Amino acid sequence: MAINRKPIVAVAAAAVVSVSLAACGGGSTSGDGGGSSKEASKGGTLYYLTRTSAEHMDPQRMYVGRDLSNMNRLVYRGLTTFPITDDPDAKFSVVPDLATDTGTASDGGKTWEFTIRDDAKWEDGKPVTCEDFKYGISRTFATDVITGGPNYILSYLDVPVAPSGLPEYNGPYKGDHQEDYDKAVTCDGAKLTLHFRNAWPDFNYAAASLRSFDPYREDKDQGEKSNYQIFSNGPYKLEGKWDATQGGTFVRNDQYTESSDESDSRQANPDKIVYTQGLENEVIYDRIIADSGDDAYAITDRRVPPAYYTQVTGEVADRSSLVDSPYVSYLLPNFNQMKNLKVRQALYMATDVVASTTALGGDKAGTPAKSIVAPNIIGYAENPNFTAPPEGDPEAAKALLEDSGEKLPYPIKFTYAGGTPTLDKQAAALAEGWKKAGFKVTLDPLTDTYYTIIQKPSNDADVVWGGWGADWPSIATVIPPLFDSRINLTENSNGQDYGNYKSDTVNKMIDEAAQIADVDEQAAKYTEIDDQLGKDVAYIPLELTKFYFVRGSKVTNYINNPMTSGFPDLGAIGVEN
Amino acid sequence: MTSQAPLLSVKDLKVHFPTQDGIVKATDGLSFDLESGKTLGIVGESGSGKSVSSSAILGLHRGTSAKVSGEIVLNDTDLLTISDEQMRRRRGKNVAMIFQDPLSAMHPYYTVGNQIMEAYLVHNKVSKREAKTRAIEMLDRVGIPQPDRRVNDYPHQFSGGMRQRAMIAMGLINNPGLLIADEPTTALDVTVQAQILDLLQDLQREFNAAIIIITHDLGVIAEMADDVLVMYAGRAVEYGPCKEILTHPEMPYTWGLLSSVPDVTGDTDARLIPIPGLPPSLLNPPSGCAFHPRCTHKDKVKGNLCKTEMPELLPGNRGPEHTKRCHLADPEQIYFTEILPEIAPDLVEEFAEVNPDGSVGDAEPVRSSDAAAEAEEKKI
Amino acid sequence: MTAYIIRRMFTGIIMLIVMSMVTFLLFFSSPVNPEDFACGKNCSPALKAQTKKALGYDEPVTTQWVKFAKGVFVGRDFPDDPALKESAPETIAECPAPCLGYSRTTNSTVTEQIKEAWPISLSLAITAFFMWMIGGIVFGVIAALRRGSIIDRGIVGASLVFYAFPTFFIGLFLYKFLAIKWEIVKIPEYVPISEGGVSVWFQGLLLPAFTLSLVYMAGYVRMTRAFVLESMGEDYLRTAKSKGLAPRKVLYKHSMRAALTPLVTMAGLDLAGLMGGAIITEQVFNYPGLGKLAVTATRNFDLPLVVGIVLVLAAVVIVANLVVDLLYAVIDPRVRVG
Repeated sequence: MAINRKPIVAVAAAAVVSVSLAACGGGSTSGDGGGSSKEASKGGTLYYLTRTSAEHMDPQRMYVGRDLSNMNRLVYRGLTTFPITDDPDAKFSVVPDLATDTGTASDGGKTWEFTIRDDAKWEDGKPVTCEDFKYGISRTFATDVITGGPNYILSYLDVPVAPSGLPEYNGPYKGDHQEDYDKAVTCDGAKLTLHFRNAWPDFNYAAASLRSFDPYREDKDQGEKSNYQIFSNGPYKLEGKWDATQGGTFVRNDQYTESSDESDSRQANPDKIVYTQGLENEVIYDRIIADSGDDAYAITDRRVPPAYYTQVTGEVADRSSLVDSPYVSYLLPNFNQMKNLKVRQALYMATDVVASTTALGGDKAGTPAKSIVAPNIIGYAENPNFTAPPEGDPEAAKALLEDSGEKLPYPIKFTYAGGTPTLDKQAAALAEGWKKAGFKVTLDPLTDTYYTIIQKPSNDADVVWGGWGADWPSIATVIPPLFDSRINLTENSNGQDYGNYKSDTVNKMIDEAAQIADVDEQAAKYTEIDDQLGKDVAYIPLELTKFYFVRGSKVTNYINNPMTSGFPDLGAIGVEN
Repeated sequence: MTSQAPLLSVKDLKVHFPTQDGIVKATDGLSFDLESGKTLGIVGESGSGKSVSSSAILGLHRGTSAKVSGEIVLNDTDLLTISDEQMRRRRGKNVAMIFQDPLSAMHPYYTVGNQIMEAYLVHNKVSKREAKTRAIEMLDRVGIPQPDRRVNDYPHQFSGGMRQRAMIAMGLINNPGLLIADEPTTALDVTVQAQILDLLQDLQREFNAAIIIITHDLGVIAEMADDVLVMYAGRAVEYGPCKEILTHPEMPYTWGLLSSVPDVTGDTDARLIPIPGLPPSLLNPPSGCAFHPRCTHKDKVKGNLCKTEMPELLPGNRGPEHTKRCHLADPEQIYFTEILPEIAPDLVEEFAEVNPDGSVGDAEPVRSSDAAAEAEEKKI
Repeated sequence: MTAYIIRRMFTGIIMLIVMSMVTFLLFFSSPVNPEDFACGKNCSPALKAQTKKALGYDEPVTTQWVKFAKGVFVGRDFPDDPALKESAPETIAECPAPCLGYSRTTNSTVTEQIKEAWPISLSLAITAFFMWMIGGIVFGVIAALRRGSIIDRGIVGASLVFYAFPTFFIGLFLYKFLAIKWEIVKIPEYVPISEGGVSVWFQGLLLPAFTLSLVYMAGYVRMTRAFVLESMGEDYLRTAKSKGLAPRKVLYKHSMRAALTPLVTMAGLDLAGLMGGAIITEQVFNYPGLGKLAVTATRNFDLPLVVGIVLVLAAVVIVANLVVDLLYAVIDPRVRVG
């Protein structure tokens, strides 16, 4: 679920993102409450219109929030899954899926046990077994074949690591050091046991979010060539082939039985789901707003373009929903450049999030964030260091800057992912606020090369832009990936620590957190770390991205599930017959 | 000119082009007659209205903004009163035209034969095969070697002279009563020019066609024309039988034309005298005599008349056939005492021998004619 | 003639070789690293290096190019890993000669990808070609014949508008009004003739082809008008008239023939360029042709696909150039090849 997984995805997302000052914190405002009042009904064809093509359909390789959730509802069942809900304030919870329960952790969260159901079947009628899980999980280790994808398992699973930094076990295809893996992941009949190096107290949440731990049939595996192969164990299966650019059609999988699925997360209402990828946002919304023919049965994961806001009125507004996304965007002071804490504090104080969000499109685009963590993530708390009003406090900022001992005006260079008028407007709005406080701002918009440039440790920008969404609903998937200098900072790259933040205090706290077996205790520790980050002004939160969607009029039981990244929940949605 | 009705009779022809700046009077009141088998030479500088007038005879201004008025009577029909379709049926059949630059006048993408056949097919209900036979026949007649082969060549494969011969073949294929040759030799080598003129004369005799030959080359006139019409600024300024005009020109502009012909006979005393100034604007022609700003003799006319009054085209002292548009009272005197000694000193004596008193009689052609005659001898 | 063609083909092949080298060099001189894109979540430096190796980008550019060139003649395996081929042959993607590479983002050989996308771009290009040629010539001739009139001004004005507006805008505009709002045409989508028959194929094609043709038509209207006007001033047209030919024949046989001949060169090259994909139109209408493929390949830093498309496009243009030159020699007798 990372906004930032792929630089280009982030750029594209940012292009449409905008901030708002509407709802605060964890809540959500919505067009009609997010869900549709129409009762679900079985049958019919649902159309899924989208722009971005899915890059992978291989469960071990996919990592985009939308695809992870959707494929989980349709074809790839996991150990656990998220329940259906449209309550925007719902805290995350998991339910058993192919496992009989949500797993049992022992050994301080280092060992997990699941029992695999005996009644679930693949689309060819063969039962889903523990061995299928073991095989599926092993595929991520074949880093020479299965590239990309969320590879947390490489650092978590208790297998010996080679000097190169990668595990010595190299996956099922070459099978070197297979015995290491066979010790770490075992099958005893239907009982799957995983041994981790560190505590992974919320592994069952990760299993629900990601598809890395899903089963895979060895006899269907063709490595790289299987990227778009979909071999289902869910209520649908692919009809024909998946077209990398155009999409595909899902039909009912007759080997799936409701009795084998007690997760209540797959109502499987439509008989057929047709995916069309590669449509321009404008085209998608022209069609959905016009609502004629098949488009009345259409949903999308693309947000309403700001230029179309005025068209969402009357009957169209009844078909709209406005919900929180899991994505937060923020600014990072570059610690190689901006070493003076008071200057960073002044920068924060002078940051006008209201103006920035307005530039992006207002309250349909985003709402001011109080932390780098999204509000519905376990461990979220408003960061107590970010107390300035959303529109900033230039006076206080000025005082801080004058107090810093630096020469004024203080020159800063803001490097951002630009290239569109909206993003340039946003940057200008931010610069305006900073200028009031005594900064002299140089704007440096970059397009394709944005991440390449800001990842260079020698980058001389003072402030850069970033965006992030948790990979599973844990603060542990936010803070270490972004601020642990040991995993990020190398000679040639700062990884995802674009601000070159390096704090031994924070690193130590991260290590402590990793040892905590209890989910809530661990989350509390991370909240502490976030507080420390705030004290250092390691980041400046901008806005929590809003999702603003419109759907076709014949779509029923429409739900934007906060647990499935706020996208339309394919487990619930149906169409009128 | 005989009393018998002429083949072509042009009366008060005017071709005016309306433009954003005003009306361009390219031809402004032109009249002449032409009989079958005879040749009229129209001579003048570029822009004097020669080509515009001949295009008017073919009706080529139809469908454009040009305003054509007057009378063009061909075979008792006024061409200005008939329909476009009737005019079209006469083009190429009753009156044909050949042009100055045969390369650009022939379509580059069609064979010579095709283009000649086309001219035949449009007026005759015959098969393509017959048309082709006829085209080959015509090519043979105009002196193209191996016509049955060359008929399939493209224009660019012909030499300049051959192209003009082919154009003549095209023009004469329907045996038209009137052939208009617009500067037919200008674009050709000197040696080829004479051959083409000779060919035209031969064919004229054979087909008994009337020819209007438009040129600025008095040598061509001397060789070809029976009558000569000198044009200036869209009007006739001197008109009469060829020999008469060339030996006893009465209009200073004609003198100018004669003076500016290079002498190829080798009379080293002869001077080449260009006409000073530029051709007048047809949009705002000079007042009075259009030629007066360039005329070196206008002082010989009393009372600034040249500047104020346009002279009529009237006979002078040489009889009714020789008309001119000039206020000079005694142009002959001036010509023989001032002009001729300058441009052809040797001829002064010749004339003097014929008419010792200096008066004018039937003199031999001026040297330009000699040049043509000499060229004629050289060919064969 | 044959010698000429052989000579042209030979220089064409040299050009293709140079182009493939240039594409490789450009790709690797970009500051963006393809492994950053392919290397999944939480990518450690070790994993990044591994990914780079798996993608085959760890070797020097020259080695990569030589392997590519060799693949064209003898084919290649992806990944080129003998150990993997030994232990798990089912994971090896074979790319038989002529192998232009294996695209990891689309998960098939470049040749296959191009083979799939090619007919789609071709359908679009040819349909649009006929539309714009007919429209361009008809409107161009009308404008020339009615020069200065309201009709002429209307046509020239409209073509200026279509010429000036971005294709993207025109496409979205037509999509919105013709397909979505008024439902005059079907929502564009590519349906192969083998699946839906000619009629469905054509209906899906109509709007993209129309959009594309409008953009080109604008240029062709103006060119046709200019060429016709130019030819009407030619001496040979006066000759044709003075022969007594009917105006219709003067126009069609003499004027048009001369006016349209230069269009052949333009049309041939434009068509060839489009066969390589109409990037923006395919993007707007979600038409999975070569243009869209090229965009996807570039966005994903998919070198094999980029190189493959560049080469195919270049080859088409080279061949089209030759064909146009030969054709020109046929239609213009003054031109000789050799």
